[in-house]
Amino acid sequence: MPGIDECLAGAMSIAGARSASLVDWGSGLALGSLGECPTGDHETAAAETTDLVRAAVESQTFTGAEDRRSPLQDVIVTAGRSYHLIFFIDTVFDGRLILHLWLDRAQGNLAAARYRLQALAEELVLG
Amino acid sequence: MTAAPAAVPAAVLPSVPPQTPGEALGLLAARRATGALHGPLGSLYLVDGRVAHADSPRAPGLADLLTGCGRITPEDWAELLRVHGPHTRVAEALVERRLLTRGELELGHLSTLFDAAFFVLADRTGGLWRFEPEARHWLGPVRAVDAERLRREAGRRGRLLERIWPWPQLDTAPVRPAAPSAQPSHRTAGRRRHELLDHADGRRTPADLARLLGRSGFGVTADIRRLAAAGLLDAPRHAAPGTAPPAEPPAAPSAAPPAEPPAAPSAAEPEAPAPVRPAGGLHRRVPGATLPGAIRTGSGAPGSTAPGPAAAARSDRPPAAAAAHPLAVPDPDIALLTRVRTLLEARL
Repeated sequence: MPGIDECLAGAMSIAGARSASLVDWGSGLALGSLGECPTGDHETAAAETTDLVRAAVESQTFTGAEDRRSPLQDVIVTAGRSYHLIFFIDTVFDGRLILHLWLDRAQGNLAAARYRLQALAEELVLG
Repeated sequence: MTAAPAAVPAAVLPSVPPQTPGEALGLLAARRATGALHGPLGSLYLVDGRVAHADSPRAPGLADLLTGCGRITPEDWAELLRVHGPHTRVAEALVERRLLTRGELELGHLSTLFDAAFFVLADRTGGLWRFEPEARHWLGPVRAVDAERLRREAGRRGRLLERIWPWPQLDTAPVRPAAPSAQPSHRTAGRRRHELLDHADGRRTPADLARLLGRSGFGVTADIRRLAAAGLLDAPRHAAPGTAPPAEPPAAPSAAPPAEPPAAPSAAEPEAPAPVRPAGGLHRRVPGATLPGAIRTGSGAPGSTAPGPAAAARSDRPPAAAAAHPLAVPDPDIALLTRVRTLLEARL
């Protein structure tokens, strides 16, 4: 049964993965991280990712017409050299969690990575 | 695991006693201590110098979250605790009996650990602290966190709250929604914050709401501050806007006293490793300096939605700027005087 470490290791095994983090966006806490980090430390990255996620979740534009319980599935930021896949994880209790994968654009495949990330997120909470 | 040989002297009394809970924790971590550090707002459990558990009455625990969402009935939980608690293997049993997956257990455990630790470490009220060597938590091993990491995170959370709305009274006072007429008309607070407003009955504190709704204590605290920043809450206690009378102004312009921790017991009880007092007026802020600035620019509330309307809503009521000055002093007269002074300074 996978725990946090196995989930992150799985994410890092995705082709082109540069870093993977599990973040509680209710507080901005990095629950676990692997790999290099664009800001130098994963705690700062987690806090900044939280700001982005919160802006999306709290906007009527993105969530107004969606299912109230889990309106968003993921947020994808496409940068010049990389992608950021931010995948929402649904837990039974209040965890407001995201799995954040930083992916190299040249080496990674966005669609495949997105698919794999979803599977990892499900394994983490479903066992 | 069991024998921590030389390390832990029963009462950890260094030559320079720690001044804050964080320092006490750092010291215990450096000695790779095992046991529980108990303070007024909860306990931190260390295993070989790493923090393995944290409890605080201000933060819902794993049990609250699991029974709150209906995953486990309170009766089943009590039974689990009775059978496995004494052997400190409740966590193991949860996974064995497939009540939780390993992932869920780790996520829930870490979130509640950081949540409780924030309140324990951020406590500035003073009071008695003691270390209970070799104490173990009933949940049993799940994950452990580096003490330094925990202190950094508690610091980050404290600063985050300050940025949202620097008004610590909100954290412990009953939450009272503002009268509908006083609320800014065109602001939406988001579903989760609306839910808080719906359950705020004027008696429940943020901690009560967190437990009731099965949410993290810090998350609710931050949301309450966001609601206040958006003008959706009634000001707690002695902070009603617009009441600062110009009657007794220059009476004591230097009235801001050394922040007196409420009911601080006269410092060092002999066995207390960390008689915690605010180090030289941690509570005090320069009145009128940060907040009006934040209000003018609207930059003080990163988490709240558009700053424009927020600023507008607040500047409708100029005295609110003064009233919003975070007063950590318990004495209402001093609070009033400080507010008057802040108001005067704001007009200079």
